[in-house]
Amino acid sequence: MTSRGTPSRFLRSVLQNGVGRYVCQLKRISIVFSKKAQSSLGARDFIEEGVVDYANKNPGTVVYVSPQPCRVPKIVAEYLNGNVREETITSKTSQQISELLTKLTNQSGLEIIRIRKPFHTDSPSIQGLWHPFTNRPPSIGPLRGFSMHDF
Amino acid sequence: MSASMAYAGLWRTCRMLLPRHHVLSPAAIRTQSSASGDLMPWTSLSRPPWPEQPSPYSAEEEQSRHAAVVSTVNQRINLRDFGRLFAVVHFAGRQWKVTGEDLILIENHIEAECGERIRMEKVLLVGAEDFTLIGRPLLGKELVRIEATVIEKTESWPKVHMRFWKRHRFQRKRIIIQPQTVLRINGIELAPRLT
Repeated sequence: MTSRGTPSRFLRSVLQNGVGRYVCQLKRISIVFSKKAQSSLGARDFIEEGVVDYANKNPGTVVYVSPQPCRVPKIVAEYLNGNVREETITSKTSQQISELLTKLTNQSGLEIIRIRKPFHTDSPSIQGLWHPFTNRPPSIGPLRGFSMHDF
Repeated sequence: MSASMAYAGLWRTCRMLLPRHHVLSPAAIRTQSSASGDLMPWTSLSRPPWPEQPSPYSAEEEQSRHAAVVSTVNQRINLRDFGRLFAVVHFAGRQWKVTGEDLILIENHIEAECGERIRMEKVLLVGAEDFTLIGRPLLGKELVRIEATVIEKTESWPKVHMRFWKRHRFQRKRIIIQPQTVLRINGIELAPRLT
Protein backbone atom coordinates (compact mmCIF):
# COMPACT_ATOMS: atom_id res chain seq x y z
CA MET A 1 0.00 0.00 0.00
CA THR A 2 1.03 3.63 -0.25
CA SER A 3 2.08 5.86 2.57
CA ARG A 4 -1.45 7.28 2.76
CA GLY A 5 -3.03 3.88 3.27
CA THR A 6 -0.59 2.66 5.90
CA PRO A 7 -0.12 3.99 9.42
CA SER A 8 2.64 6.50 10.11
CA ARG A 9 4.33 7.99 13.13
CA PHE A 10 6.78 10.73 14.04
CA LEU A 11 10.41 10.11 14.84
CA ARG A 12 10.86 9.56 18.54
CA SER A 13 12.88 7.56 20.99
CA VAL A 14 11.81 5.45 23.92
CA LEU A 15 12.08 7.47 27.15
CA GLN A 16 14.69 9.94 25.77
CA ASN A 17 17.25 7.19 25.20
CA GLY A 18 20.65 8.71 24.53
CA VAL A 19 20.28 11.98 26.42
CA GLY A 20 21.99 10.44 29.41
CA ARG A 21 23.15 6.89 28.96
CA TYR A 22 22.38 4.67 25.96
CA VAL A 23 20.25 1.67 26.93
CA CYS A 24 19.81 -1.31 24.64
CA GLN A 25 16.12 -1.59 23.95
CA LEU A 26 15.97 -5.34 23.54
CA LYS A 27 14.61 -6.96 26.68
CA ARG A 28 14.25 -10.67 25.89
CA ILE A 29 15.02 -13.03 23.02
CA SER A 30 13.47 -16.48 22.75
CA ILE A 31 14.74 -18.88 20.12
CA VAL A 32 12.05 -21.47 19.38
CA PHE A 33 13.30 -24.39 17.31
CA SER A 34 12.92 -28.09 16.85
CA LYS A 35 15.47 -30.74 17.73
CA LYS A 36 14.97 -32.94 14.70
CA ALA A 37 13.44 -30.97 11.82
CA GLN A 38 15.47 -29.92 8.78
CA SER A 39 14.28 -26.31 8.83
CA SER A 40 15.85 -25.73 12.26
CA LEU A 41 19.30 -26.83 11.14
CA GLY A 42 20.64 -23.28 11.04
CA ALA A 43 19.09 -22.55 14.42
CA ARG A 44 20.73 -25.60 15.94
CA ASP A 45 24.13 -24.59 14.50
CA PHE A 46 23.72 -21.08 15.81
CA ILE A 47 22.88 -22.38 19.27
CA GLU A 48 25.92 -24.63 19.19
CA GLU A 49 28.38 -21.91 18.30
CA GLY A 50 27.06 -18.34 18.42
CA VAL A 51 24.45 -17.97 21.12
CA VAL A 52 26.82 -17.82 24.07
CA ASP A 53 28.96 -15.11 22.45
CA TYR A 54 25.83 -13.13 21.65
CA ALA A 55 24.59 -13.42 25.23
CA ASN A 56 27.96 -12.29 26.58
CA LYS A 57 28.11 -9.32 24.23
CA ASN A 58 24.65 -8.09 25.24
CA PRO A 59 24.46 -8.32 29.01
CA GLY A 60 21.21 -6.38 29.14
CA THR A 61 19.27 -8.90 27.07
CA VAL A 62 17.96 -12.22 28.38
CA VAL A 63 18.29 -15.14 25.96
CA TYR A 64 15.86 -18.05 26.19
CA VAL A 65 16.46 -21.20 24.16
CA SER A 66 13.43 -23.45 23.93
CA PRO A 67 13.49 -26.60 21.84
CA GLN A 68 9.91 -27.64 21.09
CA PRO A 69 8.30 -29.85 18.49
CA CYS A 70 7.44 -27.11 15.99
CA ARG A 71 7.39 -26.90 12.22
CA VAL A 72 8.54 -23.31 11.92
CA PRO A 73 11.53 -22.13 13.97
CA LYS A 74 11.31 -18.54 15.05
CA ILE A 75 12.92 -15.81 17.14
CA VAL A 76 10.63 -13.84 19.43
CA ALA A 77 12.09 -10.47 20.45
CA GLU A 78 10.53 -8.38 23.21
CA TYR A 79 11.42 -4.74 23.68
CA LEU A 80 11.38 -2.38 26.62
CA ASN A 81 8.32 -0.51 25.40
CA GLY A 82 6.34 -3.76 25.26
CA ASN A 83 6.37 -4.44 21.52
CA VAL A 84 6.94 -8.03 20.44
CA ARG A 85 8.48 -8.99 17.11
CA GLU A 86 8.56 -12.47 15.66
CA GLU A 87 10.93 -13.43 12.87
CA THR A 88 10.95 -16.85 11.28
CA ILE A 89 14.35 -18.42 10.70
CA THR A 90 13.26 -21.35 8.50
CA SER A 91 16.19 -22.66 6.46
CA LYS A 92 18.53 -19.84 7.43
CA THR A 93 22.21 -20.42 8.07
CA SER A 94 23.88 -19.67 11.35
CA GLN A 95 25.53 -16.57 9.86
CA GLN A 96 22.20 -15.19 8.68
CA ILE A 97 20.66 -15.81 12.08
CA SER A 98 23.43 -13.92 13.84
CA GLU A 99 23.03 -10.97 11.44
CA LEU A 100 19.31 -10.98 12.12
CA LEU A 101 19.99 -10.93 15.82
CA THR A 102 22.33 -7.92 15.54
CA LYS A 103 19.66 -6.14 13.53
CA LEU A 104 17.07 -6.83 16.20
CA THR A 105 19.47 -5.71 18.92
CA ASN A 106 20.14 -2.39 17.22
CA GLN A 107 16.45 -1.62 16.80
CA SER A 108 14.28 0.06 19.34
CA GLY A 109 10.87 -1.43 19.77
CA LEU A 110 9.01 1.26 17.82
CA GLU A 111 6.95 0.13 14.84
CA ILE A 112 8.55 -0.08 11.40
CA ILE A 113 6.10 2.19 9.63
CA ARG A 114 6.47 5.39 7.69
CA ILE A 115 8.25 8.10 9.68
CA ARG A 116 6.80 11.47 8.82
CA LYS A 117 9.79 13.73 9.52
CA PRO A 118 13.47 12.77 9.74
CA PHE A 119 14.02 15.03 12.75
CA HIS A 120 12.47 15.80 16.10
CA THR A 121 13.11 18.74 18.44
CA ASP A 122 11.62 19.71 21.74
CA SER A 123 12.87 23.30 21.43
CA PRO A 124 12.33 24.35 17.81
CA SER A 125 12.94 28.07 18.25
CA ILE A 126 15.77 29.74 20.16
CA GLN A 127 15.86 33.26 18.80
CA GLY A 128 12.07 33.50 18.74
CA LEU A 129 9.58 32.73 15.99
CA TRP A 130 9.36 35.16 13.11
CA HIS A 131 6.31 37.40 12.96
CA PRO A 132 5.74 40.20 10.46
CA PHE A 133 7.03 42.87 12.85
CA THR A 134 10.40 41.24 13.53
CA ASN A 135 13.06 43.73 12.38
CA ARG A 136 10.39 46.17 11.27
CA PRO A 137 8.68 48.89 13.27
CA PRO A 138 4.92 48.58 13.27
CA SER A 139 3.49 51.61 11.52
CA ILE A 140 -0.05 52.72 10.76
CA GLY A 141 -0.43 54.17 7.31
CA PRO A 142 0.41 53.27 3.74
CA LEU A 143 3.44 51.13 3.16
CA ARG A 144 6.51 53.01 1.99
CA GLY A 145 7.33 51.28 -1.26
CA PHE A 146 10.82 51.11 -2.66
CA SER A 147 11.49 51.96 -6.30
CA MET A 148 12.71 49.21 -8.58
CA HIS A 149 15.72 50.34 -10.57
CA ASP A 150 16.02 49.40 -14.19
CA PHE A 151 18.89 47.20 -15.24
CA MET B 1 19.14 51.95 -27.50
CA SER B 2 21.44 54.82 -26.77
CA ALA B 3 19.73 55.42 -23.40
CA SER B 4 20.35 51.82 -22.30
CA MET B 5 23.98 52.06 -23.42
CA ALA B 6 24.39 55.22 -21.38
CA TYR B 7 22.80 53.50 -18.41
CA ALA B 8 25.14 50.54 -18.82
CA GLY B 9 28.12 52.86 -18.79
CA LEU B 10 26.75 54.67 -15.73
CA TRP B 11 26.21 51.42 -13.79
CA ARG B 12 29.66 50.18 -14.77
CA THR B 13 31.33 53.29 -13.40
CA CYS B 14 29.22 53.11 -10.25
CA ARG B 15 30.21 49.49 -9.78
CA MET B 16 33.87 50.36 -10.09
CA LEU B 17 33.64 53.20 -7.58
CA LEU B 18 31.52 51.69 -4.81
CA PRO B 19 32.68 48.56 -2.99
CA ARG B 20 30.22 45.77 -3.71
CA HIS B 21 30.63 43.31 -0.88
CA HIS B 22 27.68 41.13 -1.80
CA VAL B 23 28.93 40.47 -5.34
CA LEU B 24 32.35 39.18 -4.29
CA SER B 25 31.61 35.53 -3.53
CA PRO B 26 34.35 32.89 -3.61
CA ALA B 27 32.91 31.48 -6.82
CA ALA B 28 33.09 34.91 -8.47
CA ILE B 29 36.81 35.41 -7.96
CA ARG B 30 37.79 34.05 -11.32
CA THR B 31 40.58 35.14 -13.61
CA GLN B 32 39.77 38.45 -15.22
CA SER B 33 40.07 37.38 -18.76
CA SER B 34 37.39 39.58 -20.35
CA ALA B 35 38.43 42.71 -22.15
CA SER B 36 36.52 45.10 -19.89
CA GLY B 37 38.07 43.54 -16.76
CA ASP B 38 34.74 42.48 -15.14
CA LEU B 39 34.71 39.68 -12.59
CA MET B 40 31.24 38.34 -13.35
CA PRO B 41 28.57 38.98 -15.99
CA TRP B 42 26.13 41.60 -14.88
CA THR B 43 22.63 40.06 -14.61
CA SER B 44 19.36 41.05 -13.02
CA LEU B 45 20.34 39.09 -9.93
CA SER B 46 23.71 40.72 -9.45
CA ARG B 47 22.31 43.24 -7.02
CA PRO B 48 19.25 43.22 -4.75
CA PRO B 49 16.13 45.00 -6.03
CA TRP B 50 16.07 47.54 -3.22
CA PRO B 51 18.02 50.77 -3.60
CA GLU B 52 21.48 50.64 -2.13
CA GLN B 53 21.65 53.09 0.75
CA PRO B 54 25.09 54.42 1.62
CA SER B 55 25.80 53.91 5.30
CA PRO B 56 25.59 57.10 7.38
CA TYR B 57 28.81 56.26 9.24
CA SER B 58 32.33 56.85 8.02
CA ALA B 59 34.85 54.06 7.61
CA GLU B 60 36.52 54.59 11.02
CA GLU B 61 33.16 54.70 12.77
CA GLU B 62 32.13 51.47 11.05
CA GLN B 63 35.35 49.81 12.15
CA SER B 64 34.91 50.92 15.73
CA ARG B 65 31.31 49.71 15.75
CA HIS B 66 32.39 46.34 14.39
CA ALA B 67 35.12 46.09 17.01
CA ALA B 68 32.59 46.91 19.73
CA VAL B 69 30.24 44.19 18.51
CA VAL B 70 33.05 41.64 18.31
CA SER B 71 34.26 42.47 21.82
CA THR B 72 30.73 42.18 23.23
CA VAL B 73 30.27 38.78 21.65
CA ASN B 74 33.70 37.68 22.87
CA GLN B 75 32.82 38.74 26.38
CA ARG B 76 29.55 36.86 26.25
CA ILE B 77 31.32 33.72 25.11
CA ASN B 78 34.08 34.05 27.72
CA LEU B 79 31.61 34.47 30.54
CA ARG B 80 29.43 31.68 29.04
CA ASP B 81 26.52 34.07 29.19
CA PHE B 82 24.44 32.26 26.57
CA GLY B 83 21.51 29.91 27.09
CA ARG B 84 20.60 27.27 24.56
CA LEU B 85 22.71 27.05 21.41
CA PHE B 86 21.62 25.94 17.98
CA ALA B 87 23.84 25.04 15.04
CA VAL B 88 23.60 24.30 11.34
CA VAL B 89 25.58 21.17 10.66
CA HIS B 90 26.41 19.50 7.32
CA PHE B 91 26.02 15.75 7.76
CA ALA B 92 25.19 12.88 5.39
CA GLY B 93 24.84 15.20 2.40
CA ARG B 94 22.26 17.41 4.10
CA GLN B 95 22.25 20.43 6.38
CA TRP B 96 20.40 20.14 9.66
CA LYS B 97 19.44 22.82 12.16
CA VAL B 98 20.30 21.17 15.41
CA THR B 99 19.98 21.85 19.17
CA GLY B 100 20.84 19.73 22.13
CA GLU B 101 18.70 16.67 22.86
CA ASP B 102 17.08 16.41 19.47
CA LEU B 103 16.79 13.46 17.10
CA ILE B 104 17.98 13.06 13.52
CA LEU B 105 17.24 10.24 11.09
CA ILE B 106 19.92 9.36 8.52
CA GLU B 107 18.88 7.17 5.59
CA ASN B 108 22.06 5.13 5.42
CA HIS B 109 24.44 3.04 7.47
CA ILE B 110 27.01 4.73 9.72
CA GLU B 111 30.22 2.99 10.79
CA ALA B 112 29.55 3.28 14.48
CA GLU B 113 27.85 0.92 16.88
CA CYS B 114 24.77 1.74 18.90
CA GLY B 115 25.69 3.79 21.92
CA GLU B 116 28.87 5.31 20.49
CA ARG B 117 29.49 9.03 20.51
CA ILE B 118 30.18 10.85 17.27
CA ARG B 119 31.58 14.32 16.74
CA MET B 120 30.12 16.34 13.88
CA GLU B 121 32.82 18.47 12.36
CA LYS B 122 31.27 20.48 9.52
CA VAL B 123 29.53 23.29 11.38
CA LEU B 124 28.29 26.21 9.29
CA LEU B 125 26.59 28.38 11.86
CA VAL B 126 26.18 28.57 15.62
CA GLY B 127 23.65 30.81 17.29
CA ALA B 128 22.42 31.73 20.71
CA GLU B 129 19.59 34.02 21.65
CA ASP B 130 21.55 37.25 21.27
CA PHE B 131 24.33 36.51 18.81
CA THR B 132 25.14 34.24 15.86
CA LEU B 133 28.49 33.07 14.59
CA ILE B 134 28.46 32.49 10.84
CA GLY B 135 31.22 30.47 9.24
CA ARG B 136 32.64 31.18 5.79
CA PRO B 137 31.75 28.48 4.98
CA LEU B 138 32.72 26.45 8.06
CA LEU B 139 33.53 27.35 11.64
CA GLY B 140 36.74 26.20 13.25
CA LYS B 141 36.95 22.85 14.97
CA GLU B 142 38.50 24.38 18.09
CA LEU B 143 35.57 26.78 18.37
CA VAL B 144 32.50 24.53 18.25
CA ARG B 145 32.04 20.96 19.34
CA ILE B 146 28.88 19.02 18.48
CA GLU B 147 28.50 15.51 19.83
CA ALA B 148 25.90 12.92 18.98
CA THR B 149 25.09 9.38 20.08
CA VAL B 150 23.92 6.60 17.79
CA ILE B 151 20.66 5.38 19.28
CA GLU B 152 19.18 3.03 16.76
CA LYS B 153 20.15 1.31 13.53
CA THR B 154 17.05 -0.08 11.84
CA GLU B 155 15.63 -0.55 8.41
CA SER B 156 13.01 1.65 6.85
CA TRP B 157 9.47 0.52 6.22
CA PRO B 158 9.09 -1.48 2.97
CA LYS B 159 8.57 1.18 0.30
CA VAL B 160 6.86 0.12 -2.91
CA HIS B 161 8.58 1.18 -6.14
CA MET B 162 6.19 0.44 -8.98
CA ARG B 163 6.38 1.35 -12.65
CA PHE B 164 3.34 1.02 -14.83
CA TRP B 165 2.70 2.06 -18.41
CA LYS B 166 -0.89 1.90 -19.45
CA ARG B 167 -1.92 -0.01 -22.54
CA HIS B 168 1.58 -1.53 -22.83
CA ARG B 169 1.24 -4.45 -20.41
CA PHE B 170 4.26 -3.18 -18.53
CA GLN B 171 4.48 -3.16 -14.77
CA ARG B 172 7.36 -3.74 -12.40
CA LYS B 173 7.11 -3.83 -8.65
CA ARG B 174 10.01 -3.61 -6.26
CA ILE B 175 10.16 -3.34 -2.47
CA ILE B 176 12.87 -1.01 -1.22
CA ILE B 177 14.13 -1.30 2.36
CA GLN B 178 16.87 1.14 3.34
CA PRO B 179 19.07 1.07 6.41
CA GLN B 180 18.42 3.95 8.81
CA THR B 181 20.35 5.40 11.70
CA VAL B 182 18.91 7.56 14.45
CA LEU B 183 21.24 10.03 16.15
CA ARG B 184 20.60 11.94 19.36
CA ILE B 185 22.48 15.26 19.53
CA ASN B 186 24.01 15.33 22.99
CA GLY B 187 25.10 18.94 23.03
CA ILE B 188 26.78 21.92 21.41
CA GLU B 189 29.80 23.46 23.11
CA LEU B 190 31.30 26.84 22.29
CA ALA B 191 34.96 27.37 23.21
CA PRO B 192 35.97 30.68 24.80
CA ARG B 193 38.36 31.70 22.07
CA LEU B 194 37.65 33.72 18.98
CA THR B 195 40.20 35.14 16.57
